[in-house]
Amino acid sequence: MQPLGLSIGVWVNALLTLCILSFLYKDNPFFRFAESLFAGMSLGYYIGIVTVQTLQPNLIQPLSETFFGNYNYLLLIPMALGIMLYFRYIPRISWLARIALAVYIGYYVGVLMMQKIHGQVLPQTRDTIMPVTTGGIGALWNLVVIIGVFSVLVYFYFSVEHKGVVGKVSRVGIWFLMVSFGASFGYTIMARISLLMGRFSFLVNNWIRPMFGS
Amino acid sequence: MNLKKLLYIDRRIIYLVVAIGALIPIIRPIGLPVVPTEPVIGLFDKLQSLSPGDAVIISYDYGPSSEPELNPMSAAILRHCFHRDIRVIIMAIFPLGGVNMAIRQLERVTGEFEDLEYGTDFVNLGYKDGGQAPMKAMAVSIREVFPNDVDGNDTASMPIMSKVQNYDDVKVVISLATGIIGEWWADLVNAQFDVPVAVGCTAVSAPKYYAFLRSNQMIAVLGGLRGASEYEELLRRNFEWAREVYSDPDEMKQSATTGMDVQSIIHVIIIAFIIFGNVMYFATGKEKGR
Repeated sequence: MQPLGLSIGVWVNALLTLCILSFLYKDNPFFRFAESLFAGMSLGYYIGIVTVQTLQPNLIQPLSETFFGNYNYLLLIPMALGIMLYFRYIPRISWLARIALAVYIGYYVGVLMMQKIHGQVLPQTRDTIMPVTTGGIGALWNLVVIIGVFSVLVYFYFSVEHKGVVGKVSRVGIWFLMVSFGASFGYTIMARISLLMGRFSFLVNNWIRPMFGS
Repeated sequence: MNLKKLLYIDRRIIYLVVAIGALIPIIRPIGLPVVPTEPVIGLFDKLQSLSPGDAVIISYDYGPSSEPELNPMSAAILRHCFHRDIRVIIMAIFPLGGVNMAIRQLERVTGEFEDLEYGTDFVNLGYKDGGQAPMKAMAVSIREVFPNDVDGNDTASMPIMSKVQNYDDVKVVISLATGIIGEWWADLVNAQFDVPVAVGCTAVSAPKYYAFLRSNQMIAVLGGLRGASEYEELLRRNFEWAREVYSDPDEMKQSATTGMDVQSIIHVIIIAFIIFGNVMYFATGKEKGR
């Protein structure tokens, strides 16, 4: 026998799942209700978790416990910038929000620029420089990768009209893209089936079976 | 018979067939075979190569929407770590439920181990907002990014954290990720701080992660439910305790291996519908003389 609180949770969970699944038949108020509830709860959860897990330990606690120790007073700067973001809702001083936004964008542009060049562009480019004359199946796959990268790059090069040799190479690029889309689509189906399986498994194993004591 | 009617079959009939196909293995698991592949074996071998007392980070970068795929993966990896006395630092970067997934998975798995001690063998640092910012700052000091654990306890006083200052003391980062977060661990933490990264991801994200695996920016990729079931299979093949755990009926219901039965049956149904749809399309096309 499940504790009452747990069984109420299971029932709410099950009924909301059925509300969402009812959309498969057609759009209806139960689906709309569950959808809106989910959106609202997600936002509330996000605000709550950021407050408790980030703002409280990384900002409020250091400022309130040891303001001058460990240079904690410097945290007033990001705090001020964070508050300034909300000034956009006050027309008279909305321009101040741009300063905070500029700092925010500047930081992430800096981080991302390094991250993308150092972590993606260079290693992925390096990975296309591979031996193709060593023989064996490995060399064949290396050749496939090189042809794939080259032809797809040609397909996305729009400064030259796609005719003649360029047209033929870009056509090969399209084939590679199609294979890639097919693989992605196949994996997407797999993921969606997993979601369906997760919900069905919950309905059968956590809701229906306990109801019948099995 | 009017073939055109079959071509325009009501989509709800297809949903019904898929639903029946999904329900059968859930009610009565079939136990179709699973064969581990290289991308998954990479993580298993890495954890096997670690010594007792080594520390790993497991980042819960997913929410309830990815639960069916990533929960079994998480349970299998946690079991493997705890059985090998590897210290586990849990954290979350995904805002919508990552920390709750971690709490629930720890509750599920730690109960199987009598001598595990919180703060010494494992710790749940909770969620941190900011995406790449905390990831980058952890290279200097993990304790400064996470001064408190998920329950507000001071992390500085925990034995596990006294031995782990930053990424230099971490043997591998395992991100259980939905969307792009697993990518950040590779292109930021692996690229800039040379920490081995493994990603367990939803199947949707798997194709892009194989590019990182190929370029050695990741040591392993566990793609969706299939990746999880392969890891479970690796544990079953290698450890007696795993065979016992995964033969328990309650555990079987939650295991990825059972989920793969559903996947396999529905895949057959979908393939059948694709073939059927194409045959009908060409058949009706011929009728019209197209």
